[in-house]
Amino acid sequence: MSPRKSAKTTERTVAESLQEYGRGVAGGLMFSLPLLYTREVWYAGFIAHPYRLVAYVIATFVLLLAYNRYSGLRRDASMKEVALDSVEEMGIGLLLGALVLFLLGRITTGMPVIEIVGIIVVGAMTVAIGVSIGTAQLGEGGKEDEGLGGSSDKNEIHFGGQIVFALCGAVLFAANIAPTEEVFVIAIETSWVKLLGLAIFSLLIAFLILHYSDFKGASEFVRADHPTIILLGTIVTYSVALSSSALILWFFGGFAGVTLFTALAQIIVLGVPATLGASAGRLLLQ
Amino acid sequence: MKKTRKNWLEWVVFALGLILVSATLGYLIYAGASTGREPPSLEVRLGTPEQRQFNFIVPVTVVNHGDETAEGVRVEVVMESGGEEQARGELDLAFLPPHATREGWVTFAQDPRTAQLKARVLGYQKP
Repeated sequence: MSPRKSAKTTERTVAESLQEYGRGVAGGLMFSLPLLYTREVWYAGFIAHPYRLVAYVIATFVLLLAYNRYSGLRRDASMKEVALDSVEEMGIGLLLGALVLFLLGRITTGMPVIEIVGIIVVGAMTVAIGVSIGTAQLGEGGKEDEGLGGSSDKNEIHFGGQIVFALCGAVLFAANIAPTEEVFVIAIETSWVKLLGLAIFSLLIAFLILHYSDFKGASEFVRADHPTIILLGTIVTYSVALSSSALILWFFGGFAGVTLFTALAQIIVLGVPATLGASAGRLLLQ
Repeated sequence: MKKTRKNWLEWVVFALGLILVSATLGYLIYAGASTGREPPSLEVRLGTPEQRQFNFIVPVTVVNHGDETAEGVRVEVVMESGGEEQARGELDLAFLPPHATREGWVTFAQDPRTAQLKARVLGYQKP
C-alpha cells in the first residue's frame, strides 16, 4: 500500500465504481429517451451549424460542472474532482447516446461524419446530464460522504446551488419538448390572453411544488419564512425556467425567421414544462 | 477532509471520456472552420432501370454538394422517346443534409429501358 493511500484517502472498489456507472447509465437513459426517440432531434444534428453544437457541448459541460459542484454527494469534492467527474459523465453520455441512436437505426454507415457527430451531440448532451443526476440521485445515498459536513451543511440553503438545480431540472424537462414542432404550432395559434394564462399557470405550478404541496425536501431546501420570500423564490424559479426555455429554443433553431411575438410565445409555451422541471429540480436533484 | 481517489477503472473511463469529448469538439471546430455557407447544390443520378413484378423501377441517387441542408426535396424524372414526353415520375426526400446522399426509386408503367430518362430537382426549402 502506498503511503498516500494509508493517509486519509480511500479508494472505491472496482465493483462499487461499476455500480455507480450503472446508476449513471440508468439515469442517462431515463431522462433522455424521449429526446432520442424524437425525429426533430435527429434532424437538428445536421441542421445546426458545427459552432452551435460546440456551444451546446460547452454549455452542457458548464451545467455538469455546476451540478456536480452542488449536488449533495459531492459537496466535499474539490474543483479538480468535479471537473474529472464531469468529463467522465460527458464521455459516458456520448458513448451511450451513440449506442442508443445506432440501435434505433439513426446512425448508418453511409452518413457523412458531420451528420453522425451532429446527431450524437444533440442527443448525448441530455444523456450526460441524466448520467450526472443518476449517479448522484439513484444511489442509496451518501454512504461515504454523509455525516461529514453533516446536518449543519444541509440546513444552509445555497442560492447558487438552488439556481443550478432549477436549471438542470428545467433543461431536462424542456429539452425533451423544445425540438418538437408542436411548440411552434402552439405559439403561432395562440392568443396573448392564453399566453398570459400559461404564464400564470406556470407560476402557480412553481408555487404549488415549492411551497404548497409539502413536496419531499421542500421544508429543507426552500426558504419560506416570509410571503415576500415565497413570491421572490417563485418568480426566480420561473425566470430560470424562461431563460433555459429560451436557450434551448435558440439552440434548436426555434427563433429563425419568426416575429418577436412568436419567439416570446414559444418561450412561454415551453416555459410550462421548464417550470415544472425547475421547481421539481430544486427539491429533488439535491 | 476525506478524499476519494479514483481507481484504475475510473481513470480508464475518464481517459476515454476525455478522448471522446476532445475528439468531438476538435472535429466540430474543424468542420465549422472548413465548411462554407454554400446553399444546397443537388446532383441527381439515375441508375439502371429494372423490371419488377408490377412495374419498372429506376434507382435515383441525390447528392447534396452544398453546405446547407435541403428540406422537402422534390425530384422529377421524365421519360422521353423521340423527343416526346411519355411518362413522369416523382420522388420526395424529407431531408438532404450537407454532403449527404439519399437513395430511392421512381416507378414507371412502361419500359424505360428503351426510352430516354431526364432527371432534375424541382425544388426544396430551407429547414
